[in-house]
Amino acid sequence: MKIAGIGMICSRGLGIAAFENALESGWQKPGDTAARWLGGRNAPAYLVDLNTVPDRRLLKKVRRSDHLSKMAVLAAADALADGGMGDVVPNKLGVIVASAFGPHVTTFDFLDDFLDHGDTAVSPTTFSNSVHIAPASYISMSMNIKGPTLSVTQFRFSFQAALQLAKTWLDQRRCDHVLLGAVEQYGDVLGYVMDHKLTSAADGKIKPFAFKPTCQVPGEGSVFFLLSNGNAGSAYGFVNAVHVNDDPDSGKTVDLDIIDADGMLPDESAYLGSLSPDTPATAYSPLFGSMMIGGAFNMAAGALMLKRQRSYAAPVQDNPHGIRLLSETGNRRMESIRCTGYDCYAERTSIYVSRE
Amino acid sequence: MLITGLGVISAAGNTVAETLDSFRSGKRNAGPVSLFPTNLSSPAFEVRNFPATYAAKGQRTLGLALCAVDQALADAGLDDLSGYRVGVCMGTTVASQLNNLQFYAGYREHGSAPMTAVDQFLKGNLSEYLSRRLKARGPSLSIVNACSSGTDAIGVALSWLKSGLCDIAIAGGADELNHVPYSGFASLGIANPGLCTPFDRDRKGLNLGEGAGVLVIETRAAVQKRGKKPDLTLNGYGSSSDAYHLTAPSPEGVGLRAALQSALEEAGIGPDEVGFVNAHGTGTHDNDLVEGTVLADVFGPDLKMLSTKGYTGHTLGAAGGIEAVFTAAGLRAGWVPASAGFQNKDEAIGISPLRHTTAITGRFALSTSLAFGGNNAAIVIGRERDA
Repeated sequence: MKIAGIGMICSRGLGIAAFENALESGWQKPGDTAARWLGGRNAPAYLVDLNTVPDRRLLKKVRRSDHLSKMAVLAAADALADGGMGDVVPNKLGVIVASAFGPHVTTFDFLDDFLDHGDTAVSPTTFSNSVHIAPASYISMSMNIKGPTLSVTQFRFSFQAALQLAKTWLDQRRCDHVLLGAVEQYGDVLGYVMDHKLTSAADGKIKPFAFKPTCQVPGEGSVFFLLSNGNAGSAYGFVNAVHVNDDPDSGKTVDLDIIDADGMLPDESAYLGSLSPDTPATAYSPLFGSMMIGGAFNMAAGALMLKRQRSYAAPVQDNPHGIRLLSETGNRRMESIRCTGYDCYAERTSIYVSRE
Repeated sequence: MLITGLGVISAAGNTVAETLDSFRSGKRNAGPVSLFPTNLSSPAFEVRNFPATYAAKGQRTLGLALCAVDQALADAGLDDLSGYRVGVCMGTTVASQLNNLQFYAGYREHGSAPMTAVDQFLKGNLSEYLSRRLKARGPSLSIVNACSSGTDAIGVALSWLKSGLCDIAIAGGADELNHVPYSGFASLGIANPGLCTPFDRDRKGLNLGEGAGVLVIETRAAVQKRGKKPDLTLNGYGSSSDAYHLTAPSPEGVGLRAALQSALEEAGIGPDEVGFVNAHGTGTHDNDLVEGTVLADVFGPDLKMLSTKGYTGHTLGAAGGIEAVFTAAGLRAGWVPASAGFQNKDEAIGISPLRHTTAITGRFALSTSLAFGGNNAAIVIGRERDA
């Protein structure tokens, strides 16, 4: 399964070039957000400002959609364009959208209606946009994609499970291409829940290699991959395997380990056992924030590194456990990368991406 | 792939056998909503006499799902899943959203609220919950494709089995009757003030329902290992998007036609080999017009077709799972019920659903789902040749 294109939007901007700039330039203090639960204080969060999107045509097409769907549409269109399919949508193109929390902000908007006006006077538009399938539907509608369109959720492994499914669709020729993406939105209630259940980093800095105690900074954004069959002409390399739970390839040697640690678990020590002293490791959550779909951003970073043959230093290098961190940015020969994630049950996912 | 177990719970009955009794008698167990206070009056199809062992507080959807899963596993003769790679793929709408009114009202008023509802939500991802409960180590994924979720979940399970990701898949859908979608559908103007009448000329909208429907699907190798001789097969799945509108189906039924074609292709059969279609048939004007017209075009005007939503209401993410079980049970029993609520043919549709309990012939049947957002899905279920 080749990665033919990548599109994304995060707090550092729209497009893979913006993400590349973020990887090159490293950590930046995130913006602040206010919320009722903060009682007049502000808290750091890696948020997407859609006002900075220069080309408004696509946003106009989906003007009735919410922030979540807009981010997904922009990232999906960006991936198609990056894969050279911006103008002509191919036949047998499927769409899979993964999200841990879906349109929760719009759901709470709907509940506002409900609480303010009762169950007989709620907004049909808000209700329509609060359904999990909305981002995928806006993608299909705005880009005239008529293949299978699926929305999935599996909390921490939403993206990885969707990637596994995309591979079966391509292998079984249900689709010639799959536009696979992940999207997550920040909202006040989610911020409150994260702050209540986890430790928030007051300085806005996620320390992915601290492992315990951990600290999180909420993020939002969307990443899409244009995945295709075939062995030739891949822009970014190939997804060779996606393992959930058992990893029969765990003994394989790779050139780089990327871990999804981002403070979304109070104890991320499981990652320690997955790392080898012989293999450099990195994590990019400090660039885009803590999200259950962070693994998608990390895979995008890995694919970009394989394409550029350039490694990007871990943006936050606090390293109390003496991990062999990727400490410098520079050109580097790399053939394969492993992206590893853990959930709160210490279950593991591994994605193997290679250049050839 | 072989279907070895069926499990279902809905207003039509808490087991397959109870459901078939309801179908035979034409009984429609709808009434005023009892699960939450409401100012709306559309009748709902609630599950009655929900077994107490499954009634987990605040997690009705999970209880419904588990009830159907236990039935399906018992039907499959699978009391021990160890030694198998078991995948779990379930569709839902309610279990994917943190839409607890009490929690949110508390947060809105005070800027804080107890985490009970959040904890339930975080532990309540449908497939994850079932995988953990069953100690299943295969793939696990919750499908949140609105009203086609259950059908899509079965299609995903078929892909997993074909790819070798698992030996056994537990797939279907589950949803409880919930206040939020209940008022949401009313706001869209498609909630019927009376009982739904799918495909009828004078149809006035849908009724919501609740329940769960689950299939146990296995590779032939897994079944042979267990020495079972199942009589049902899962032969094909198709899915396609209308790319048209967030809530309305494409008037030409573009996506449904493509989904049907894909499902038939995968099954390797033609339309003339289909014994009957269990249609989505919600009872809304647009859905039934588009779906009925497409079914008449693809299968011809003599197609035996029905909607079972007159017995269950629209169970949203559960519908595809429940209707897959009904379809399989119909193939196995050799008859299907009357399409409850139907009286007058809609000339604009060009096909009528079954008016009476009808014997069916043919090895194959289809179940279709049309979803919010324009997704369409279809699965082909068959009988083993020597069954």
